[in-house]
Amino acid sequence: MHEMALMAGVFDIIKQYTTDLEESRVTKVTLVVGEMTNAVPEALQSAFAVYSAGTVVEGAELLIREIPLTAECMSCGWAGKTEKHLFICPQCSSLGLELKTGRELYLESLEVD
Amino acid sequence: MEIKINTGILSSNDQTAVENKKVFDQTGLFVINMMGSPGSGKTTVLEKAIDILVDSVQVAVIEGDIYTSKDAQRIEKHGVPVKQINTGGACHLEAKMISRVLAEFNLAATQLLIIENVGNLVCPVEFNLGEDIKIAVLSITEGDDKPLKYPLLFRESGAVILNKVDLVDYTDVNMDVLRRDIIRINPGIQIFEVSARTGRGIGEWVQWLLEKVKEKKIRLPKSRVFL
Repeated sequence: MHEMALMAGVFDIIKQYTTDLEESRVTKVTLVVGEMTNAVPEALQSAFAVYSAGTVVEGAELLIREIPLTAECMSCGWAGKTEKHLFICPQCSSLGLELKTGRELYLESLEVD
Repeated sequence: MEIKINTGILSSNDQTAVENKKVFDQTGLFVINMMGSPGSGKTTVLEKAIDILVDSVQVAVIEGDIYTSKDAQRIEKHGVPVKQINTGGACHLEAKMISRVLAEFNLAATQLLIIENVGNLVCPVEFNLGEDIKIAVLSITEGDDKPLKYPLLFRESGAVILNKVDLVDYTDVNMDVLRRDIIRINPGIQIFEVSARTGRGIGEWVQWLLEKVKEKKIRLPKSRVFL
């Protein structure tokens, strides 16, 4: 499953920030995942459990912040949530919608005690 | 204590993809990343396209599969350099897998590099390889509901090849619905309706590809123009 590959990426980043933290433990990891990103929260949780085992992250909470799909119409200026994944302006029916949010996939923060 | 990070999770893959792209851009090499379900006809489309392409450009191919070199063996018969990557389990190609095989090609003598990804409508879309354009391959026998079910692939692709159109009369596919949904997800996408088996429509896709290869050569001032 590719959530494992994504979680490998998360832990590559976590390692950079935790190599100096000898006595501390990570208590929370916050990921931001957009609605249109192909990453299923449940699968991310499972992958997190696998990768955190035996590390300073073991037992930490994984918080996933989901960002909805929103777009802006280049023709009439309408902005808002799109209907599913259809990029048609509900105001002027133009096909010229630009995606604003919904493709995020980043590690936002760690909480360490 | 909170540590703010704000770093993209795919940043490691994306960084390698950027490095791959720098290598490709050095000689104005145009690169496409072909994705589609297992059985959509990616390899057959490629075989037919290569036979026309080689009259105009030097082509190289990277084949991605979980197991076997069956696809590379098929491409080899068409007389172009090809390398098979076996992921051994991963459902998608990643940028570092591509960078590892680049040394086996004479990239300076190549104008078009075609990467055929692992058969999968989902995962490969998230992993940039350094390509210029993603190409989606969907066979009409898979059904007209697939674009809405797998929108990210169609959103991110520059073109979609609708394959097996010779079988339209043997299915219940509604081609108008299919075209409409694809355009609604990605208004700028080019749609090519083909039959890899009969060869119908392949020439049009090849023409479009050759235009893209030429455009890149013109755009990058340091590269020599081969066409």
